[in-house]
Amino acid sequence: MANSNMTPPSTRVSGGFRVGIRQPGVKPKDLRGTLFRLWKLTKGSRKGLGWLLLFSALASASAILSPLLIGQAVTGVDEKRPVTLLLVFLLGLYIGDWLVRFLQQFIMAFVGQRMIHHIRTALFSGMKKLPLAFFDRHQHGELMSRLTNDVDNISTTISNSLTQILTYLFTILGIFSIMLRLSFLLTLLSLVGVGLIFLLTRVVTAQTRKLFSDQQQVLGRLNGQIEETISGEHVVKAFGQENQMIDQFEESNDALCRIATRALIWSGYLMPITNVINNLSYVLISIVSGILAVRGYISIGMISSFLLYVRQFSRPFLEIANIYNNFQTAVAGAERILDIMDEEPEPADLPDALPLASPRGDIRLEGVVFGYDPARPILKGVSFNIPAGTRVAIVGATGAGKTTIINLLTRFYDVNQGRILLDGHDLREYRMEDLRRSFGVVLQDTALFAESIRENISYGRENTSLEEIQAAARMAGADDFIQRLPQGYDTVLTQGGQELSQGERQLLTIARAVLTDAPILILDEATSSVDTVTEQRIREAMLTITAGRTSLIIAHRLTTIKDSDVIILLEDGQIAEQGSHEELMALGGRYAKLYKTQSGGVK
Amino acid sequence: MKLMAQYVKRHRWMFLTALLFLTIETMADLLQPTLMSLIVDNGVKEADVGQILYYGLIMFLIALAGAFGAVMRNIFASRTSQLIGKEMRADLFKKVQTLSLENIDRLQPASIITRITNDVTQIQDFINGCMRIMVKAPITCIGAILLIIIQTPRQIPVMAVILIAAFILIGSNMKLGYPLFGVMQEKLDQLNNVSREFLASIRVVKAFNAESQEEEKFEAASRNLGQATASAMKVMAVFSPLINLSVNFGIIVLLWMSRSQDSVQIGRLMASVNYMTQILFSMGMISNILNTAVRAIASAGRISQVLEETPAQKKAARPVCPQWRGEISFSDVSFSYAGAGKEALSHVDFLAKPGETIGIIGPTGSGKTTLVNLVPRFYDASGGSVKIDGVDVTGISEEELRRAVAIVPQKALLFTGTILENLRWGRKDADEGEIRRAAAIACAASLVSQMKDGYDTLLGQGGVNLSGGQKQRLSLARALVRRPRILILDDCTSALDAGTEALVLEGLRRELKGVTVLLISQRISTVARTDRILCLEKGRVQGFGSHEELMEVCPAYRAIYHSQIGGKQHG
Repeated sequence: MANSNMTPPSTRVSGGFRVGIRQPGVKPKDLRGTLFRLWKLTKGSRKGLGWLLLFSALASASAILSPLLIGQAVTGVDEKRPVTLLLVFLLGLYIGDWLVRFLQQFIMAFVGQRMIHHIRTALFSGMKKLPLAFFDRHQHGELMSRLTNDVDNISTTISNSLTQILTYLFTILGIFSIMLRLSFLLTLLSLVGVGLIFLLTRVVTAQTRKLFSDQQQVLGRLNGQIEETISGEHVVKAFGQENQMIDQFEESNDALCRIATRALIWSGYLMPITNVINNLSYVLISIVSGILAVRGYISIGMISSFLLYVRQFSRPFLEIANIYNNFQTAVAGAERILDIMDEEPEPADLPDALPLASPRGDIRLEGVVFGYDPARPILKGVSFNIPAGTRVAIVGATGAGKTTIINLLTRFYDVNQGRILLDGHDLREYRMEDLRRSFGVVLQDTALFAESIRENISYGRENTSLEEIQAAARMAGADDFIQRLPQGYDTVLTQGGQELSQGERQLLTIARAVLTDAPILILDEATSSVDTVTEQRIREAMLTITAGRTSLIIAHRLTTIKDSDVIILLEDGQIAEQGSHEELMALGGRYAKLYKTQSGGVK
Repeated sequence: MKLMAQYVKRHRWMFLTALLFLTIETMADLLQPTLMSLIVDNGVKEADVGQILYYGLIMFLIALAGAFGAVMRNIFASRTSQLIGKEMRADLFKKVQTLSLENIDRLQPASIITRITNDVTQIQDFINGCMRIMVKAPITCIGAILLIIIQTPRQIPVMAVILIAAFILIGSNMKLGYPLFGVMQEKLDQLNNVSREFLASIRVVKAFNAESQEEEKFEAASRNLGQATASAMKVMAVFSPLINLSVNFGIIVLLWMSRSQDSVQIGRLMASVNYMTQILFSMGMISNILNTAVRAIASAGRISQVLEETPAQKKAARPVCPQWRGEISFSDVSFSYAGAGKEALSHVDFLAKPGETIGIIGPTGSGKTTLVNLVPRFYDASGGSVKIDGVDVTGISEEELRRAVAIVPQKALLFTGTILENLRWGRKDADEGEIRRAAAIACAASLVSQMKDGYDTLLGQGGVNLSGGQKQRLSLARALVRRPRILILDDCTSALDAGTEALVLEGLRRELKGVTVLLISQRISTVARTDRILCLEKGRVQGFGSHEELMEVCPAYRAIYHSQIGGKQHG
């Protein structure tokens, strides 16, 4: 449809048929370079593409030849000459055309889809190697539309454009040479029309380009408002802001309607103008050809052929202009995809990376400095030592850098300065996969998948028996509630865990970490949303699980961690106090004060 | 379909005007070949330049009229479709504002958002396309057929056969294609789900080395979508060239039949061939628009679903205004979420006296949030009654109720706009002094003053540029600006460190004299300082009383106490 830029890309499916003028494309930054790289991505589909091009060239044959044949047949009929042979030719041409078109579209279905699949999976596997910083920086909705629509868009546009441009080019060339042969004068006349159309198209697109980009902006604002309001509906209702939100919405909605209408109207001028010019040149040509025919310079059959050609002549030009626009948009989309593929992936393992089969679990931080924005460090020189098998807790106010330490340990991010050692070697010396396997982590966000509970617990591990899974769940205190679910361990979390309470979700992720049987356990606020009774249960489980393992626990509630071997109090990116609960209490410093406020006033 | 018709009906005059101009446009297009034939038959054959000029002029004028029709049609069609889109979006948005949270939970916010943004656009495009193509194609078809009949009446039977064949082909194409496009849409949704899950869980994926597992999932979903698309396209590949072929046959037969006829007028023959080409073109359009139609119909279904939703809660017919002393009473209140089997609250009874602070504690899932959500009527009790100053909350006007009851939700949520605008959500006419005071109580004043633009600092969507603790403090300040009679604090200090939390709670105690407060907390130390404590477990009240009383009589409370404070564990 026209106005297809209004369609948020997420619903776009390849193979769609769009008529009218599309949004004048965003200009690609480096057309040639992008095209070259896209070409490299088509590896594996090139043979198919070759066939596709061949058939496209053949498809233009019918467009070129049939008016000639029809014209001759018409002349033949008029002059009472036998036309059977001509008609047989025409029939052959049409049947050939049918076959070619059928094959072209059939191949297109396969080649196009294979190309899409190929580019999409290439993009995904590029994406999955990217460091966490990338995902933290980009909106998920945006990345999703890269994966589905942008890919779709470029593949269809490119395979369509490629074949169509070829067909049209052949058509133009073919028709042009035949027209020239038929009559030089009339051909010149029809070129005037084509030139005029080209000129006017430029004028109109210059207008619409601006309008469409304004429209895009308003649309973005409107969608943002919708998303914000509806996902925060409970607060909107709590403060009775429904009407205010509606007012705000209506303002943008009206603006969008206004600007979109204007953009559509402007882009709608193109077709009628073209039509008038087309008709004008048609009339002009028929008048001139009529006069010529009257004078006996040309035959009537020739006129009919020529006029059929004239009608077909300007369309390919217009289409090519249109395709070029689409093509530019697609290439700009391709650039967005290639940008992702160009992102620096997680650092590759060193060539002599150390394997890490069963680490003891000695962790040492030496002068670690790190900031997500290096100019604003969060950790400002943190050093501590965790001997294997120790239970360590990190406490501190929000923003003190607790979670950051974990991000560094798991190498979601790498330190800016200093280093982190595991069993005496810098983390960066190990193979990434081995390193991550040595941690069993429970993170703040309880990510569950729309799969069965069983699959969720055994996430990232293959061939795990139900017994092992159950054992892990029991240890984490999750077995109880799982058993109560209708299908027990086979219950499928169709809503990705939304159907469970926050606490239940947390228990599942704990079970998942338990199952990894990793030598080092990391719990980042794992019990923050669990009630204190459940928490107590988890704590007991933890005592069992962490026995003989190095464990690192982050918690707000100091009661949770007071039986840790070492407690590290972080303050503003630095270690403020360090020691066992008793030592720190005896010290009577900040920890002791914090502890007292948390449990204070209660006898 | 019904939905679209409904909106089109509202703008039927504009829609019809668009169609009228479309008809003019189409007619002008249709007349061109006929005029051409007149030029050839009357002008060229009769060697009459005057005739050629005459018909040429008419032809040009008609082309102008056609262009005028096209421009006007486009203006009306664009207006109509954009208006319909705007109204549909607005209706949906307003509808959602009237729905209860229960409805919104059920429909899922993410899905509602897609419906308002995506699905409406889908329909808008379709309607616009309708006014361009769907109507043009049949008009062209019928007009062309009529003109062929007029031009060359003897071809009628042949034309009939060919056209019937073409229509059968288009029909079968739609019939076979429709379900396939549906499947395609389904597979696309699946692919979107897989990528959404991957992105949302990226930390876990990486921590568990599950990248390749996710890649396999993605690849399978992508392959499925590819296959579904390919099979839909294959149907198109079979049919659309066939439709082409059938009309091309028509051209040949037309020429073949004229061969044996005597007084065939060459111009007319050309016109007929021309019309056949036009028929061909419009038929191609009809069969190609299938994909768009399928999606528009699916979108319309999803939109209707929201529009037909009735708010789960009824408005008070004759609202009663309570005195707002702040007494809250729950008598025998039960509640279960829609679709959930077990009750979230069962037979809850308690009474909060005006000005009292009630602490609510209990394990996760014990129904604490559910309980407080019944007070401002986010949900309605399924059994028993919730009363404020003796008036059932369902009898109080929603506006009035929510003005008097302020809630600070578990998840602090701020909105695009300045900090000041966000705080004014509490009360529109709050002056700056009031806002500063509220911020001070919530320990938010210092954080605001640290910002470059102070209260005029612009917050991003959802307050993205703030930390969890900062958001919680602002969210609390926003509730305080409201000057509520009843204040609900739903574990809203969880992201604050213990020091700040203590300060905030101290401030509240000092400032909120006479305000009834329901305070949910996980920390026993926090609730212990309240007047009375309600201890919940599995949706039932385990105990209600002061800390000391509960320590005496309530084993559930004791268990929580010991788990947090330590000491000897009792049975």
